[in-house]
Amino acid sequence: MVSRAAAAIRTRPRREREQEVLVWPDLVFIEFISALIFSIALMVLSAMVNAPLLNRADPDTTPNPSKAPWYFLNLQELLLHMEPAWAGVIVPTIALVLLAAIPYWDRDTQGQGVWFGTKFAGRLTVFGFTAATLITSLLIIWDGSLHVVWTENIIRGLGLNSDFSWPGGLDWFRNLRGFDTGIPWESLGFTIGGFTMFEDWRAIPLGIPGTTTDPWLLNLNFPSFLSQQIIPVATMVGLPVAFVVFCKMLGWIQTRRDIALLIFSAFIGVYLTTTIVGTAFRGQGQDLKPPWDIVVLEE
Amino acid sequence: MANLERAPRKSFNDLIYDLIFKNYVWQSIFRTGYPNTPRNQMLAVATNVFLHLHPTRIHRTHVKITHTYCLGGLSFFMFLGLTVTGVLLMFYYVPSIERAYQDIQELEANVRFGQLLRNMHRWMAHAMIILVLLHMMRVFYTGAYKPPREFNWVVGVVLFILTLLLSFTGYLLPWDQLAFWAITVGTTMVGSAPVLGDESKFLLLGGFSVGPNALIRFYTLHVIGLPLVISIFMAVHFWRVRRDGGLARPL
Ligand code: HEM
Repeated sequence: MVSRAAAAIRTRPRREREQEVLVWPDLVFIEFISALIFSIALMVLSAMVNAPLLNRADPDTTPNPSKAPWYFLNLQELLLHMEPAWAGVIVPTIALVLLAAIPYWDRDTQGQGVWFGTKFAGRLTVFGFTAATLITSLLIIWDGSLHVVWTENIIRGLGLNSDFSWPGGLDWFRNLRGFDTGIPWESLGFTIGGFTMFEDWRAIPLGIPGTTTDPWLLNLNFPSFLSQQIIPVATMVGLPVAFVVFCKMLGWIQTRRDIALLIFSAFIGVYLTTTIVGTAFRGQGQDLKPPWDIVVLEE
Repeated sequence: MANLERAPRKSFNDLIYDLIFKNYVWQSIFRTGYPNTPRNQMLAVATNVFLHLHPTRIHRTHVKITHTYCLGGLSFFMFLGLTVTGVLLMFYYVPSIERAYQDIQELEANVRFGQLLRNMHRWMAHAMIILVLLHMMRVFYTGAYKPPREFNWVVGVVLFILTLLLSFTGYLLPWDQLAFWAITVGTTMVGSAPVLGDESKFLLLGGFSVGPNALIRFYTLHVIGLPLVISIFMAVHFWRVRRDGGLARPL
């Protein structure tokens, strides 16, 4: 077996001295100019826009909405759609580990050092990014029940039915929690051989009494587990898989690099969308609002 | 014939040039003049503390702006700028809940260029996060993480996390409503971890909620702990770029 160091040398392209230029002046000049441009741009920005400074911190007055710094608002956005442990800790940890693991999985040395090195790289990037952005937006709209509001408004507005409201039979499709609150779980028990199964879906006994005090471990609240954990996690795993399968069917995926391109671009799409929605579209009570309708109240 | 041996008369420009660049003090700092031969230009890069992070020669595709867009270099430049403005801010700021907010107000109102200083620090911090993210995207889309650069990609991910943490710890320091509640929301997320959640939150805040202990912890991490750690990782990052044979290019 070759040592890693030897392999590292081997995976390097041959040095072509005739193709090389001197760092001084060629590179030093570019670095100097870009640093200069940035210094000037930041100076101008700082002269025009002041850093925010609100009232002195007061633990007794909570601003509504309260928001984390903008670069964590993607996580705060996730928080609205799933169990906090997933949104705040598990998902970001897994995402970072996967991100760091990319080069250990996609090891083919072909196609390095050039932008979009594979045949379908462009399409995969555009598709991954756009589709992920769209789907994320739709999911957020759905979980914000905007489709309910819009449907009601359209049907009323068209004069089809002036007091139309979202049908009760579709309550489960109002939003993610609909799977919890919109389904008559109470009547879903059944009897096998004299035993009544799932008499109470909201308290399925799991643990041995006395081994834990955590009610969650003792009795599983299945409807809430479904809507806060199973569905979100299945979505986060299922969509990427579906993306890969779909692009494979189109013949766009030939190497691992292609899969990496697709998923990374989709990730960037989700990252951006959730950050933007969390920053600009969440008003009081974290309700979906257009940016111009957002005011912060102190309560 | 004697004419030819007389030294040509110096022009005024040459006189000025010699006065500035050929005097004893200048030459004690810069031992040679402007490096105008390839050999001297390489020596200039190799022997200057600041420039020696670079190789002396690089492949011509890598000086094209469109290859890197200078994003890694600019991230580093932001770090340097943040260090300079940060040190200046430390002159005026005391991390206690009695003084922090007032210090910022006074910095803005009474210190010459104080507002500008604070703005620069703030906007550079935001710019750095965006630049680091863009740098990561450029590295990804140019396939520059592939062997032998796997580990440097991992170092990069660590740098990204450290950049976020630096910004997050700095966010609390003005001790205004924005700072207080953002950190409250952020640390509550930490607290929801399935294992060691409450413990990590307690460790971070030095208590159960954001208060004086949290302020001093965030301050210490922000001005010394994290900058030290990120400097070490940056050193490794730059060193590895060189060790891995410069920037990636096709085999
Ligand atoms: C504080 C943050 C960072 C700084 C200051 C930094 C700085 C740099 C610099 C100056 C370069 C030289 C080429 C260039 O400018 O593009 C570079 C290359 C590189 N960086 Fe970073 N970087 C940072 C974060 C990251 C991140 C987040 C990643 C990836 C996750 C990363 C991965 C890499 C890799 C793999 C290379 C080699 C690129 C190639 O061979 O073409 N870095 N970095």
